[in-house]
Amino acid sequence: MADAEAVDTALAASGDASAFERLYRTHVNRVHSLVRRMLDADEADDLTQDVFVRAWEKLHTFRGESAFGTWLHRLAVNVVLARRKTLGVERGRFHAGEDPLEDVSGRRETPEVAMDFEEALANLPDGARQVFVLHDVEGYRHEEIARMLGVVPGTSKSQLHHARMALRRYLDQ
Amino acid sequence: MNDKWTDRLSDYVDGELTTEERTALETHLATCADCRATLEELRKVVVRARSIHDRAPKADLWPGIHARLTPGGRPGVIRSRRFSFNVPQLIAASVALVVLSAGGMWVALNQPTRTAGGGQFTSEDTLFHVVNNKMWNRTDAAIADLQKALTRNEGRLDTATVRVVRENLALIDRAISQARIALDADPGNAYLNLHLADTMRRKLELLRRVNAIATAQS
Repeated sequence: MADAEAVDTALAASGDASAFERLYRTHVNRVHSLVRRMLDADEADDLTQDVFVRAWEKLHTFRGESAFGTWLHRLAVNVVLARRKTLGVERGRFHAGEDPLEDVSGRRETPEVAMDFEEALANLPDGARQVFVLHDVEGYRHEEIARMLGVVPGTSKSQLHHARMALRRYLDQ
Repeated sequence: MNDKWTDRLSDYVDGELTTEERTALETHLATCADCRATLEELRKVVVRARSIHDRAPKADLWPGIHARLTPGGRPGVIRSRRFSFNVPQLIAASVALVVLSAGGMWVALNQPTRTAGGGQFTSEDTLFHVVNNKMWNRTDAAIADLQKALTRNEGRLDTATVRVVRENLALIDRAISQARIALDADPGNAYLNLHLADTMRRKLELLRRVNAIATAQS
């Protein structure tokens, strides 16, 4: 049977906004969650909108070699990384050498602050957080992440390990 | 607990160690309870990460997205069209440019009159008409081929898909029909020519993609 999403993709590529809305409804949760995990939650709505507007503009380049969801997801990662780069420049936040344990584990010692796993993830420093999300949540390989972030795979591995070491204290299951 | 092996535990979980490294680490794990405990926790973190559920945004973002979509077409498509004119289109544009440039003053000084029935055309109208007719005929032939292919392939698509495709093709056909009626009355209208070309391109693109999808189902 035909993939209805592939047809919607073709219709949207030919300018059908209704078909594009169906694609939005199918994928918005995943895109929004990705954006929220990699950026501050208060930016997630705006960036999610940017992702879908960018997808609409670039849909004519989608040739169907992969599933639409895969293509959209990669586009979302690129939009997020571009935004993070801007934020990094603005805030000077991304430092490869930062210690994720310090930020998260410091809060763990305070009994009244009971963070769950996702909150702890949100409190990781940028470098460890983006590597953890891309590798352990989204399934990208270190080589891919290194290319995306402009670092060597060893840095990606190191950031991932530090993130995991921090997050193991917040296993809530 | 923070021995020399601790930093390699994630690599071990991910299968990133060489055979020699893995063997050495496993030897260490056999005697180090702390590292075994840490390893177990790291594995749980990996499992936990995979089980994170996606959540919907608190508000519906579609109205904001829809408001930002360019009405009547996508900016990306419009930009790319600059590089996708085919030969007949380029000929038509060249002819129009030459005629309009060389004869601009003549046209300005000699406003042509058209009969009520639209039978009187200027020279540039006629050139446009002849060149475009060749282009439309070729495009019509390509569309006819693709529609035949779609008729053959429809059985591979589910009913709902066929219905949606037919509805959209009917919409595009209506737009093409209206553009042609308007062009019959004003063959030299550059906007109408481009509009018809764009609408036919959309139909071609839709037919090609749907045929590709149907073929992929086999």
